[in-house]
Amino acid sequence: RMDLEDDTTILTTLKSFNSFISRPEHPQRLSEHSAGSGILQSQYKRSMELLEAAERVHSKNRYLQLDQEKKQMELSHKRARFELERAASDSARDLEHEVDRNQELLGQIKKLEERAEEVNKKLTEQKEANDALQKNLEGLNKTLEERDDKLGTANQTIRSLKDEIRELRQKIQNQDSKMSAQTLENQELQEKIDLQQRYTHKQGLTLSAQSSCSDHIIKIKELERRLVFQEQDFAIVKTVKSEVARVPDLEKELKRLRDDNAYLRESRENCSLLKEEVEGLRKKLERMEKTKEELINMELEKERLTEKLHAWENLGQSTGLNIRKPEDLSREVIQIQQREIALKEQNYTLNSRSVERSQSELRAELTQQHSKTLEEQKKREAQDALVRRLQKRVLLLTKERDGMRAILESYDSELAPTEYSPQLSKRLREAEDILLKTQSHNAEMEVCLQAELELESLKKQQASATDSNSLLTKEEVTILRQKIEDLERERQRLEEQNNILEMRLERHNLQGDYDPVKTRVLHLKMNPTAIAKQERQQEVEALRQEVTRLRDLVRSLQSGGAVGHSQDDTAIENLRKQMESSELRNQRLKEVFQRKIQEFRTVCYVLTGYQIDITTENQYRLTSVYAEHMDDSLLFKKGSNGSMQLMETEFSKTLGEMVALHLHHQKSIPAFLSAVTLDLFSRQTTV
Amino acid sequence: MTSTLKGITLKGSAELVAEFFSFGINSILYQRGIYPPETFTRVTHYDLSLLLTTDPKLKSYLTNVVSQLKEWLFECTVQKLVLVITCLETNEVLERWQFDIECDKSAKESSAPREKSIKTIQHEIRSVIRQITATVTFLPLLETPCAFDLLVYTDKDLVVPDKWEESGPQTIDQPEEVRLHSFTTSIHKVNSMVAYKKTESA
Repeated sequence: RMDLEDDTTILTTLKSFNSFISRPEHPQRLSEHSAGSGILQSQYKRSMELLEAAERVHSKNRYLQLDQEKKQMELSHKRARFELERAASDSARDLEHEVDRNQELLGQIKKLEERAEEVNKKLTEQKEANDALQKNLEGLNKTLEERDDKLGTANQTIRSLKDEIRELRQKIQNQDSKMSAQTLENQELQEKIDLQQRYTHKQGLTLSAQSSCSDHIIKIKELERRLVFQEQDFAIVKTVKSEVARVPDLEKELKRLRDDNAYLRESRENCSLLKEEVEGLRKKLERMEKTKEELINMELEKERLTEKLHAWENLGQSTGLNIRKPEDLSREVIQIQQREIALKEQNYTLNSRSVERSQSELRAELTQQHSKTLEEQKKREAQDALVRRLQKRVLLLTKERDGMRAILESYDSELAPTEYSPQLSKRLREAEDILLKTQSHNAEMEVCLQAELELESLKKQQASATDSNSLLTKEEVTILRQKIEDLERERQRLEEQNNILEMRLERHNLQGDYDPVKTRVLHLKMNPTAIAKQERQQEVEALRQEVTRLRDLVRSLQSGGAVGHSQDDTAIENLRKQMESSELRNQRLKEVFQRKIQEFRTVCYVLTGYQIDITTENQYRLTSVYAEHMDDSLLFKKGSNGSMQLMETEFSKTLGEMVALHLHHQKSIPAFLSAVTLDLFSRQTTV
Repeated sequence: MTSTLKGITLKGSAELVAEFFSFGINSILYQRGIYPPETFTRVTHYDLSLLLTTDPKLKSYLTNVVSQLKEWLFECTVQKLVLVITCLETNEVLERWQFDIECDKSAKESSAPREKSIKTIQHEIRSVIRQITATVTFLPLLETPCAFDLLVYTDKDLVVPDKWEESGPQTIDQPEEVRLHSFTTSIHKVNSMVAYKKTESA
């Protein structure tokens, strides 16, 4: 505003200046000019001063502004710097922290490394100590062994030394004895020498002193030699004595070695004892482990047995019978067995009955078979008789044959070889013919014999009459008999054929064939098979029709067009139309309701001044048309008994008096609402 | 009872045989499962427990056939009665029960009753029916839906009654045949046998 004021003053001064400049078109007023010019000059100066002041003020303003801006910028700079410094300090602190942590971690790492190194060193030291100890042990073992060897050798040396000592002692004794003997001898000899000297003194010079002296000298020399030997022996004895003096030292050493030996033996014995103990403990451990395994196995077995026991105990529940003890189970089993036995008996009785029946049938068959066998036997006997007869014939024939052969041979022997074959063959043929004839003759004769036996009785009756005809009848009889035989053969053949054909016919009969000439096969037209076939056919037809119909339906549905001429399609169409119409109706009703509701609400708002919204069930929010803010609203809740209650809102807090007056005193909500409206309205119009 | 202590007459014999056929056919239908077993009811006859159908259509069909058969037996014009079991799907004959009837035509001329006790006849009939029941053990199972038909082999010169028509013999191709027991009333002799189609061995 200061600027505005400045501007207006500047503008007014400018206007005045302009108006003043425009006035110099009247140059006549000089006096007024000078005064005016003086006034003008003062005015001009004043205006210039004012301008300058204005400029100064402007510049001061600008300067102040710039100052302010600068200060602001400095402030912002400072702030920024401050923040940056803070951030920098923070980051520096973080960095320090990190660095510290890093150092700490490095220190920790170093410590850990040192510890690891120490541990390694310790380990190596331990290893070395272990090795050293092992070496020590080995060394000790070696020393032990050496000591043992030494002991052994020492013992040996001791033994040898002992022997030597013994020998030396013996020698000394011998030497002593020898020495004593020698001294005795010496003494004796000395005495002898004395005697001899005395003798020499006595017998002196007179007798062969020289010879005896020489003898004595020789003897003295010998004695001197013996003395020397004895001195030598004496020296030897001394050395031996000195050696013997060492013996106690050796004995001391011996003792010490023996002690050491004993100690080492004890330690060895301890070692062996410890080893035995260790072995004993190991065996115990093995035994304990075995017992543990056995225990585990036993426990498993126990579990299995308990399970089995449970299963056995639960038998009662599983089988549904009243089983609680094994006796019950055995009782049940006995009952079942008894039932089984009873059933088996029934079975056996039934079987026996069926067996009886089959037996009776078999007996009947048996009787049939018996009769058949009797017939067969008779046939067989007849066959046997036939066979015997045939055998007799064969015998006769063979005899004939032999005879013929003999004849042939006789002929052969008589005839020359060239005339052999044709004559032989001729004769063979003749012989065969003769043979055949004789055979037939034989057969006839036999038949005749049989017939004659029969005829004899007749002949005896008709002896006189038939004598003349006997010959004729015989011939006739033979002819007739031949005919009979032929006929018999044919009959047999025909019988066989007949049997075969009958069998074939029976087979066909069994299979159902019939002779169309004689029989006819009838059945009812309405028989179950025909009925069943018809029904089947109808079913098939119906199914086929349904299939075609469904196929058409499917095709029509797939294509999408409802070109169905069947009843179902029209029904569907009707339903569809109904549905569409109902939907349209619904839609229209909805629209109408909406419109009406909207209309009513706007009318309410306009007339009453409140827009009533339902927020939640039984809660109504009223917003006044003159509300100062958008969210100034009153909230009413419908209670269970149907009365309306005002709820606390921001806006209602401002209307405390009206609430107290209209709601609490007058107990009228419309009054309250209208009061609020009036109040808001009054507030609106004043502003 | 038609067959009295006096003996068997032709009429009595015809009745006995027709009765046998009626029970026999019912037994076969029950055993072979042509009709469901719940449609059968138990009765006692020939000292046996037999089953009769309760299906009304089947009953009427059987009474028709059996009554006609009785007439023919009385006239001695019937040669065989055949029960054919056909498979509905393939239309081929699976089983064929054939009863051959041999009639003693001389009984027509004389009318003196024959000496044969009812007991024996009943005993024989019983054995046949028991055999029919026993055939179940070896006859192959009828797994497909089947229907049956009754064929009557009569003399050619017979007048065909209405509702009856001619048909083929309906034989089985390469059948297995088993002969059963026969019985006779001394006037009529009935031989029974069953032929069935050999099943393909698995």
